Amino acid sequence: MKIQLESVSFTYPGGVEALRDIDLFIKSGDAVAFIGENGAGKSTLAKQLNGLLKPSYGRVFVGDWQTSNRSVAQMAGRVGFVFQNPDEQLFARSVREEVAFGPRNLGREEYTISEDVEMALKQVGLDRAINRHPYDLPTPERKLLTIAAILAMRTPVVILDEPTMGQDAQGIARIGRIVSDLKAEGRTVITISHDIDFCAEHFPRVIVLSSGRIVADGVPSEVYYQESMLENAGVIPPQIARLSINLGLPSGALTDQEFIQIYKEHR
Amino acid sequence: MVYLKNLTYRYPRGESDVLHDINLTIQEGQFFALIGPNGAGKSTLCYVLTGFVPHFYKGKLSGTVTINGRDVFDTPLPELAGVTGLVFATPFNQISGARFTVREEIAFGLENFALPREEIIDRTEKVMKLFNLTDLAERPPTALSGGQQQRLALASIIVMRPRLLVLDEPTSQLDPVSTHEVFSALDSLINQEHLTVVLVSHKLEWVAAFADRVAILDQGQIAADGPPEEILTSAELTIHGLTPTQFTAVSLMAQRTGLIDSKKALPVTLDQAVQFFK
Amino acid sequence: MSAAFSLYQSRDSGLHRLNPLTKMTIALSGVATSLIVSGVWGNYLLFLLILVPLSAWGQITYSFLRAVFRVVWPFAISIFLIQGLFWTDGTPVIDLGPLSFKAEGLLFAVISVGRILLLVGSFTLMTMSTRPDALMIALNQRGLPHTLSYVVLSAIQIVPMFQAKANKIVEAQQSRGLETSGNLLKRVRALLPLVEPLLLGSILDIEERAIALEARGFGRRVKPTSLLILKDPVWEKILRWAIVALVLALLAVRIWLW
Repeated sequence: MKIQLESVSFTYPGGVEALRDIDLFIKSGDAVAFIGENGAGKSTLAKQLNGLLKPSYGRVFVGDWQTSNRSVAQMAGRVGFVFQNPDEQLFARSVREEVAFGPRNLGREEYTISEDVEMALKQVGLDRAINRHPYDLPTPERKLLTIAAILAMRTPVVILDEPTMGQDAQGIARIGRIVSDLKAEGRTVITISHDIDFCAEHFPRVIVLSSGRIVADGVPSEVYYQESMLENAGVIPPQIARLSINLGLPSGALTDQEFIQIYKEHR
Repeated sequence: MVYLKNLTYRYPRGESDVLHDINLTIQEGQFFALIGPNGAGKSTLCYVLTGFVPHFYKGKLSGTVTINGRDVFDTPLPELAGVTGLVFATPFNQISGARFTVREEIAFGLENFALPREEIIDRTEKVMKLFNLTDLAERPPTALSGGQQQRLALASIIVMRPRLLVLDEPTSQLDPVSTHEVFSALDSLINQEHLTVVLVSHKLEWVAAFADRVAILDQGQIAADGPPEEILTSAELTIHGLTPTQFTAVSLMAQRTGLIDSKKALPVTLDQAVQFFK
Repeated sequence: MSAAFSLYQSRDSGLHRLNPLTKMTIALSGVATSLIVSGVWGNYLLFLLILVPLSAWGQITYSFLRAVFRVVWPFAISIFLIQGLFWTDGTPVIDLGPLSFKAEGLLFAVISVGRILLLVGSFTLMTMSTRPDALMIALNQRGLPHTLSYVVLSAIQIVPMFQAKANKIVEAQQSRGLETSGNLLKRVRALLPLVEPLLLGSILDIEERAIALEARGFGRRVKPTSLLILKDPVWEKILRWAIVALVLALLAVRIWLW
């Protein structure tokens, strides 16, 4: 499902100008990473996409819906939003009930719900915990549970806010696989993350925000090599990009293979 | 500085040991990083090093823990507070709730130690400068962002000048630039005041750049222990479910494809990697 | 995110600089006086002649009056209606069909509202011009246990912290399709997913906060230093005793007149 922002500005009630004149088009099936330092406006922008915040000026469309005409609960049918902190949403007596909550709110039939719940739990690797109490799981697994809770809603758009926070290498790899699955299904995936290596690996489009503006938007092999722009935006480039830059190699490499290739050619 | 002997611990109602027969000595002034998969017992070990096990969390415990010459099991928590300090991942819960400005929040610990007022002011101002909090001095702690609260939590413990600083994922909500600032500040404290730091982190790139010793904890046991150049390039790393930094991974690949001499030591940091490929 | 659940209004004024104990003495004597004064308009006069000028000294008159009236008017209306209309055997003054306002009832209402006005006003003036932590430190110095003052102070801050957390929970659950507006049944059904994480999450929070407090030496039994310096000049001490003496005198007169 496509997303469109037309000259969107947003100012918080306290007077903080968080977004300034944002124009953005995200085509259906795109995988986009929003990066930038704390306070750059990433979360504010993400909350515009599911209607939690409505623009002070301009318009936001998700598919043919304009967010300002829809309730957040309605938007939930189209945009799934995984928040940072699992302890600010888990409430049910069992993992199963927790994951079924979203689909039930969307008015799905019970038999499809139990199917979706099992599928989602399998995807995050919690299928064996289905009857446990959410708060009996350790924090990193609680986070995976909140991802499952959104996956089960089968929304055409999925937003992941700092998905790798607190995860170990295996957890990060698991979340990477989930992102790949979502991309393969043609869903639109959006992440906000400080984990630049994770973004570089899984998101073929990267948007850099700084002081509420989009300062770069493009493919990783170009954006991650714009040193001075990233520095001004408070972003440290991915490891391979930094290594290439420091070795004076031509830009573009982000994976180990790409780096080896370029290194071989220019040694 | 830190001396653990045959330490074994099980939480009350726990089904198995969280920590099993741990022997560990940490020298004064060392930046010691503890890495390992989730559920390995890293946070529990942090509680042991700060006395919260056994004084706050009871359970089954054996072995000895000595910090700065004091037996942790025999020293009550209030007395350990100035010796060993703990900062953990959730900044919100580390705000005392009893003070109404950032400056006073930082001073809270020193007030409890009944230090002279002038010294409290002096130390508070210095620490605020170190952690970039001076501009926020008059703001209420509850009104700060997650990242700012995290710097506040660090400052509030460091101002107490513990001999041992235990950090359990202390920069989870900071962006990379702020993380770098925080670790640089810690580094200067280690050099100037011979502070000893134990850091738990999943971010191996930071561990590689700042720690001078790394241990892998898995299933309650120390699986490997040594300098970062050794541990972060060892096979043990992947055996215990960890992923080397990309600097290491790409260098290993270069060796395997015969681009670089396979006897050359693998890098763990950017600078080392640059040298490696030059 | 709001700062703290407190009425405190920061100003650089003489009233603000008074020792917290002096302001507490004024507040408590205000409460005592409101109960002692028996005349119909006495409490109103005290409010106008003492509290309002004090609030002007503290540069908070407008917000002070607003805060007081916000609390007092619901009481005032209900007292006037109930006492005025349902006073048994009173003299009717205003007829409203089958009901009528009685003179005695209205008089009683005027007196009662006067008491509430002075009582609420005294406390509001103190809380608006006194930092809660300063008051607690002053009380600690007079022997109040530190743990007790911690409970009071953290309660003041925990309300906004709870609010912030509650807002995040609402956002998260709405994003999972929870309808939080609409008819009563819908809203009742929405309650569990909103309240449960707040409670369960708070249990985890409390444990961590206890650890964080211990880590900062809260459990030590020494008398803490205070960063905040509270001035208590001799004239303020005299003033406090004078106020107490005045209230006692008032009480004596009242008993004597009885």
